[in-house]
Amino acid sequence: MADNGISSTERLWAAIRLEKTDRVPIVPTLLPEPAAHLAGISPAKVAADNAVALDAILQAFDDYGGWDSIYPGSYTPVQLQASNVNPLKVRIPGRDLPADYMWQLAEEEILESQDYDTICEMGIDRFYYEHFLGRISDLSTEDVNREIGALFTTFERFLAECQTRNVPPFFMGNGMHPFFTLSLMRSMVAFTKDLYYQPEPVERAIKRMTADIIVSQIPLARQSGLGTWLFTEERASAYFYPPSIFERFWWPYTKQVVDAFWSEGIVTIFHLDQCWDKNIPYFRQLPKGSFILELDSKTDIFAAKEILRGHACFHGDVPAALLSIGQPQEVRDYCRLLIERVGEDGGFILGSGCSVPCNVEPENFRAMIETGKQTVG
Amino acid sequence: MPQRLTDLFVVFNRDAVLENITARLQAGEEPLHLLDDCRHAMTAVGERFQTGEFFLAELILSAEIFKEVSNLLETRLSRQGPAESKGRVLMATLRGDIHDLGKNILVTLLRSQGFEVQDLGVDVPPAHVIDKAREFQPHFVGFSALITTAFPSMKEAVALLQEAGWRDRVKVMIGGGVTTPAVRDYVSADFQTTDAMEGVSYCLNMSGGK
Repeated sequence: MADNGISSTERLWAAIRLEKTDRVPIVPTLLPEPAAHLAGISPAKVAADNAVALDAILQAFDDYGGWDSIYPGSYTPVQLQASNVNPLKVRIPGRDLPADYMWQLAEEEILESQDYDTICEMGIDRFYYEHFLGRISDLSTEDVNREIGALFTTFERFLAECQTRNVPPFFMGNGMHPFFTLSLMRSMVAFTKDLYYQPEPVERAIKRMTADIIVSQIPLARQSGLGTWLFTEERASAYFYPPSIFERFWWPYTKQVVDAFWSEGIVTIFHLDQCWDKNIPYFRQLPKGSFILELDSKTDIFAAKEILRGHACFHGDVPAALLSIGQPQEVRDYCRLLIERVGEDGGFILGSGCSVPCNVEPENFRAMIETGKQTVG
Repeated sequence: MPQRLTDLFVVFNRDAVLENITARLQAGEEPLHLLDDCRHAMTAVGERFQTGEFFLAELILSAEIFKEVSNLLETRLSRQGPAESKGRVLMATLRGDIHDLGKNILVTLLRSQGFEVQDLGVDVPPAHVIDKAREFQPHFVGFSALITTAFPSMKEAVALLQEAGWRDRVKVMIGGGVTTPAVRDYVSADFQTTDAMEGVSYCLNMSGGK
C-alpha cells in the first residue's frame, strides 16, 4: 500500500527507526472478534474457524481502505491453547457462551506451587504439553496437531494476502513474558502470594522460561525476515507491584530477552497493558531503537514520549472506550493529538490502545484510519 | 495489642497474624473486638496505598490475610449476631463479561472495611440486579468490567434502577481497566475508577466515613 511514493514497509520502518516520513504509519490491533463485528460476522463463527477469522480481518482491511501493516490474528481461541500462547481455560461463543459474545479467558488457580520446579527441569514447552494442557482443555495430541496445522495453513495465506496488498505483517513470533505467563497459569492472587512468600522457585522458573523464549522464538523471528516480534506483559507494572518485585522478577529478564533479539537485529514490540508510568524510565536502559512500546491508554503516552524521546518508538493508543462509545470527532481529535505530540519528531505508529474493542463503532474505526492518513505528521 | 496486629499486617506476615488472633481468642478476647482490630490494620494498609508506599499487590496480600481471619472468626461471630455494617454494597460483572478479578479484589477490600457485600458474580443480566436490589436494599451498586461489551449492560442496569424507582436510593459506581469518565457519563453512574482502593474510599466517604 503506497501513497506519496512511500511504501507501507518504508513508512513503518522509518517510525521504528525513529525517523519522520510523509505521515505516521497506521496499525490497528484488529483481532478476529472486532474484525468480525466490522464485517458483520458472528463471534461464534470466527471463534470456530481461523480461516473465517482471517477473512474477517482482510474484509475489514479492504472495506476501510487499508492501513500500513496488518496485526497477525488468524487464530481461534482453541488454537491459542493448542500452540501454548494462552495458558488458560477459555469460554467460547456457541460452545460455552451465547453466540454473540466474544470468547473470554477464565482465570483459575491451575498451576500448583510445586510446578515451578518442574518447569525448571523440563522447560516450559514440555511442561505445558505434558503436564498443563490437560488441566485447561480436553485437547488430545491429534487435536493439537490438527489445530497447529490449521494455524500454519492459514498463516501462509495471511502472508500471501499481505503481499497482495503490499503491506507487511506487523510481527512474526510472539511470546508472553514469563512473569505474565506464570501469573495467568497460577492466577494473580496465588502468584502474588508466591512472589512474597516463596520467591525462589518463581525466580528459578522465570529464569528458565526466559532462556526458553530466547531459544524458541529467535529462530522464528529470524526466519521470517520481518525484523519484529511481539512480547506481551499485562501485570508487572507499578499499577500492581512495587519496584522491588519489578526489579527482581521482571526487568533483568526483560533486558536479557531484548538484548538477545537485538543482537540479531530483531526489534521487540512490547504489548504493555495497564499503567506503566512509574516503570517507563527503566526502558532507557534498553538499546536505542531496539523496541516499540505498544500502550493501551492507561499509561500516559505523552509523558512516556518525553522520557523516551529519540530512544523508542510508540504504538497506540486510541482508548477502547473511545472507539466503542465515543463520537467520530472525538476520535479524530485524539488521533491528531497523538500525531502532533507523540509523532512530532518520528517514532510513532498510530493504533488502538490494546485491541480494537469488539463493539467498536464502525464510524469511529473509520475516523481513526482516515485521520492517520490525512494528517501530516 | 492492636498496634502489634497492624505491624504484622503491614509486613504481610500471614502466619503471625493468624497466630496472634488464635492466641487472643484462646485468651478470651471478643471476636468482634479482634475483627475491629483487623479492620484498623487494613485501614493502615489502605493509607499506605494512598500515599504510594504500598501497591495493589500489597493490598491484595493484606486483604487475603483479612479474609483468612474472617473465616477463622466466622463461626464465633455468627453466634454473637451481625457486626455493625458501614453500608450494603451490591456488586456484579454484567452480561457480556465473565471476568471477575477486579470485582473480587474490591469485594474483599470492602468487606475488610466493614461493608456488607452481596456479590452477584459474572455475566449477570441487568434485570437480575433490580431483583436483588429489592431484596438486599443496598446503599451502593457496583459494576466491574474488563471489556467494552459490558458497557451497554451497565447502561441498561442503571436505566432499570431508574424505572424501578431505585436510582435515587443508591450510588452507582463502575470500575475496571476499560472504564473512563466518559463511560461513567454514558451509563449515568455516579462514580468511576480503575483503582479498587479509590472505590473503597468513595464508599467510606459517601457513608459518612464511619
